[in-house]
Amino acid sequence: MMINELVRMHHINKYFGRVQALNDVSLSVRKQEIVGLLGDNGAGKSTLIKILSGALRADSGEITMHGKRVDIRNTTDAIKMGIETIYQDSALVPQLSIARNIFLGREPTRMFDLMDQQKMNDVASKLLKQVGISKNIPPTTPVSALSGGERQAVSIARALYFESELIILDEPTNNLGVEETQGVLRFVRNARDTGHSCILIAHNIYHVFQVVDRIVVLRRGKTVADDIDPKKTTIEAVEHVITGMSL
Amino acid sequence: MALIDRVESPPAERTSLVQFLIARPEFGPFVLLVLEIVVFNALSPAFLSALNISNLLAFVPELGMLALGMTMLMTAGEFDLSVGSVFGFTPIVMWTLYNEGVTGLEAAFIISLLLAVLIGAVNGFMVTRLKIPSFLVTLGMLLVVRGTALYITDGFPQSRWTTDSPLLGILVGDFRIGEIRIFNSLLWFIAFSIILGYILMLSRAGNWIQAAGGNPNSARARGVRVDRTKIMLFILTAVISAWAGITSSIRVATANPNSGTGYELEVIAMVVIGGTALTGGRGTIIGTLLGVFILRVMRNGINFTDVPGLAYNIFIGGIILGMMALHSWLERRHHAGT
Repeated sequence: MMINELVRMHHINKYFGRVQALNDVSLSVRKQEIVGLLGDNGAGKSTLIKILSGALRADSGEITMHGKRVDIRNTTDAIKMGIETIYQDSALVPQLSIARNIFLGREPTRMFDLMDQQKMNDVASKLLKQVGISKNIPPTTPVSALSGGERQAVSIARALYFESELIILDEPTNNLGVEETQGVLRFVRNARDTGHSCILIAHNIYHVFQVVDRIVVLRRGKTVADDIDPKKTTIEAVEHVITGMSL
Repeated sequence: MALIDRVESPPAERTSLVQFLIARPEFGPFVLLVLEIVVFNALSPAFLSALNISNLLAFVPELGMLALGMTMLMTAGEFDLSVGSVFGFTPIVMWTLYNEGVTGLEAAFIISLLLAVLIGAVNGFMVTRLKIPSFLVTLGMLLVVRGTALYITDGFPQSRWTTDSPLLGILVGDFRIGEIRIFNSLLWFIAFSIILGYILMLSRAGNWIQAAGGNPNSARARGVRVDRTKIMLFILTAVISAWAGITSSIRVATANPNSGTGYELEVIAMVVIGGTALTGGRGTIIGTLLGVFILRVMRNGINFTDVPGLAYNIFIGGIILGMMALHSWLERRHHAGT
């Protein structure tokens, strides 16, 4: 086992009917490391991530956290273990306010189940600034009134506040404007400095190159590269690894 | 570009109190209620007489309690068609037990409420665990419960025996404020409104209820016990329906196995007129109180006009359609550009 290893997925296999989506895939993430997970459509990135976030179960293989074997049966288990996943269409409740969404399931309460809304709003305001929303959006604004990037920011704020050890971002920059994309990438960089690890999945290799420490490439359900250093290679070279065409 | 708009005009700073009130989903129903009262008062001075207000307030709590329960349930994304049958069935059980000398009245009251707990729990279990839509589950329950009420009474009303139990006074005793006669049921109704309003808007349970209706999958992923929340709300709705039915039976001194027939739809209408979403996620107790009064005042006030009583439903239907159009328009305007 590597020192400083946070999560390792060992020899994961997953079938959908007779189609093998993942073939003996292993993936590890160190503490305070940002891993870029790349691959063409259908390479198995989403399947692998869904297994780690509890949305799917592997047919075989195991997952360890801090070197200990864990059983991730569902998304609630994953969140409890400190694995937070942020999807493109973020899993927020549109009718609820920003603050109520951030604290959903873990609301601070006083007597008689009364929610401490003062605290929730204060924390939410601070978090929104921290994730790069400088605009003056009250934390009582319903999520339905937010733009796509702002919703991502709320999901990210939630992951930050509850000190998730591993934050998985699945295509976080899809459908975002230039400024919002920069906000998300800035967050990913900051996350490392504040002690979090990240797995970043993105179609846009340029975005991945800007922030990650290491690139892992899947092709047709297999790992074809798991230690590419973006500082020592070019985007073109990585594209060739992804598509499987030789230089 | 909504983003840029927001930079120029932060809503928190520019919105005045008047604008805030107008933006509330309860504003439309409030205006409609005031309009009704003004129109009926103009048409007949008897409308606002002490006697008529007493009559209005005697019946409002009974349907109103059903509407309170339904509001909570609909916010969580479910509804209950069996409320009217529980309203008719539970007083039958209570008075039959008492009249037959099986138990005292207080014990019979408790047993009836426990039966309601059971009915609600079965509804909730079948909807959440067996994943059957609440429309079908509660439609079936409506028939089972109403059928049982008819069967055990042979279809005859149970008359109320004389009793000196303090329960009657506690539930439906009356007093006067000036010339207006008030039943204790109105005080219970106010108390339930405050408690449920508190739960829905300020408590953690309320956050879970709204999340369960708004996006159940993401709520579940955050550790919200969505199924348990819904089961508790089905139980709440059944128990408050039983309470309302028993209240009604005491006030009119008889328990009719057919009472409450058709209430489920009138109650759902009251709730959606008030601004609670039929699809869940958004609910308002204040809106429901307005919705209850809008329909009750309409039914009551129409007696003072030249409109034939048989035309009543035309107005009710018109109100429902009009308010739905208003809510939908406000919703779209509110989220324009996002």
